[in-house]
Amino acid sequence: MAQPTEAVPPRDEPIGSSTNGSAMAAVMAAGVGAFAVGAFVILNESGLLPAPTLYGPAGGVSGRTTMAAVTWLIAWAFLHRRWRARDVPIRRVLVATLVLIALGLLATFPPVWSIF
Amino acid sequence: MLFSADSIWTMLHGIALGGGSLLALAAALFSLRVMAVPTGSDAPDRHSRAVAMLLVSIAVLLWLTVLGGTYIVFPPYRATPPAGLADLSQYPRAFLLANPDTAWLHRFAMETKEHVPWIAAMLSTAAAFVGVRHRGKLLSDPGMRGTVATLTGIAFVLVAYVALLGVFVNKVAPLE
Repeated sequence: MAQPTEAVPPRDEPIGSSTNGSAMAAVMAAGVGAFAVGAFVILNESGLLPAPTLYGPAGGVSGRTTMAAVTWLIAWAFLHRRWRARDVPIRRVLVATLVLIALGLLATFPPVWSIF
Repeated sequence: MLFSADSIWTMLHGIALGGGSLLALAAALFSLRVMAVPTGSDAPDRHSRAVAMLLVSIAVLLWLTVLGGTYIVFPPYRATPPAGLADLSQYPRAFLLANPDTAWLHRFAMETKEHVPWIAAMLSTAAAFVGVRHRGKLLSDPGMRGTVATLTGIAFVLVAYVALLGVFVNKVAPLE
């Protein structure tokens, strides 16, 4: 019987997932998105970049969160394109993501953004 | 009618969707812990699929919670009452702000709920993506599993926090 000449990938493994780049891109982008939520709150409260009200009954939150979501998706697309075919250090990405999340959450804390 | 439309939407948002996502988040954290296999070995396919489906379900539930909260429940909450109206019970935001003892429920609790859940939804989406795309090694790769567990754990804490704030708000100024 002929022997296979190259390793057959596990049945569950989709093509391209042998590297962790796409996964880490999603993780990092979530951190960017979290930071963006906080940043748009601060920018709005400081008057530097008031978010447009996209849906009147919901008020300004509709604009702030939409802009943050768009930022998140753009970051994800950018990072995915850059990292999808390579391995990136998980710990470094996770630490950076956690820092971004922490900053984003801090900025959404009412006692913080009310300073601006 | 026993329950108004606003009241039903609030219950759907908080209990069905928000509560459902909390249950699923807890289940995912538990699953990532107990279904983990040693590095290099293969996890049973049904376990990997189950965890991936759970992570996707969390993301779906959270986005429905967030979008429903922002665009369906929040508008009647923040509606502006007619000038001179004495009974503000049908206008929760105005009702809370009219009393110094309850103003914090809007200025802190609801202001927090406006933004923090979006962060939880983004984190859970990332976790779901990793769970689906790297399903084959999620349960065997400690780095990947730890990352997903971290994002899921943070999402759980954030959702539990804003859910509690929502209970406080709805207890004092329910949408009727």
